[in-house]
Amino acid sequence: MPQWPVADFDPVRRLHVIAATTPGAARIGEAVLDAPFERVWSLAQDLERTMPLWIPDVRTVRLLTPESTGAPLQARIHGHTRLRATFAIDLAPGWCLMQSRLVLGGMAARPETDRTTRLAFLGGLRFPGARLLAPALRPFTGNPLARFAALLDEE
Amino acid sequence: MQEPPPGLAELVRAAQGGDQLAVGRLLDLITPYVRRLCGPIALDDGADATQEALIAVFRKLHQLQCPDALFGWVRAIAVREAVRYATRSARSQPAELGELPAPGDPQLAADIRDVLSRLSPEHRAVLLLRDLEGLDERQTAALLAVAPGTVKSRLSRARLSFRKAWQQ
Repeated sequence: MPQWPVADFDPVRRLHVIAATTPGAARIGEAVLDAPFERVWSLAQDLERTMPLWIPDVRTVRLLTPESTGAPLQARIHGHTRLRATFAIDLAPGWCLMQSRLVLGGMAARPETDRTTRLAFLGGLRFPGARLLAPALRPFTGNPLARFAALLDEE
Repeated sequence: MQEPPPGLAELVRAAQGGDQLAVGRLLDLITPYVRRLCGPIALDDGADATQEALIAVFRKLHQLQCPDALFGWVRAIAVREAVRYATRSARSQPAELGELPAPGDPQLAADIRDVLSRLSPEHRAVLLLRDLEGLDERQTAALLAVAPGTVKSRLSRARLSFRKAWQQ
């Protein structure tokens, strides 16, 4: 019996689904970076070290020891402004989604070619009516992808 | 269609309550199924159709009353979205059913994708629902909002061609 075609899908598209269906307000941006997937993701998934270097409002990230085996990963994040929250995190190759009570953040990556990678970044507020506060997202979203590209060049 | 896994009700309720990590886990669960539905209908636009279908599913998630009905509910939304997306696409150029390869044509077994590409998105949807998903004529017609007679008359020839080819 022949195989019916199966549609492609990837983590960047998955993050677009999350962005389009977040109850509050979410901004998503993406860029093609001049580096292979493995290099981009090894930098992106190093949350404690690199998030403060490329996400504008993040000052410190401290991963918390899971309470039990299989418990979700958590991090305490402090910002330069009012951001100060504990985030639950889903982290997998090419995928990171993190949420606190009020804030949603995420990044997703897929190989574009052997030498380039598409990276998407999501910043959002998780409560209804947050769209009215869209300007408040700017410190969190800023232009992180340009900063990430610069970080890639430096390292 | 898949059986609902354990813990599905809690996961659906959490996602309906705005827990985006639960939305992510629910996405993991239903994305393979939506890809299998959108692929044969939207073909080259399958990835875009899958993304649009998943957005439609999660925007309507609050309407899902019974989590055990998740996969049937997802199927209805995904198939309609895939037909809508493929119909809108400029690449969709349906041909007459008479142009289908005859049963036994080696082309059928060699390239089902090529055969599907010669059907309209609605024809592909009916083939998928009847032959892969096992829906009957009435269920298929209801899902696609067409008359049962239309499903029967317009698709019988196409389906026969596919079945005979597959059974060889």
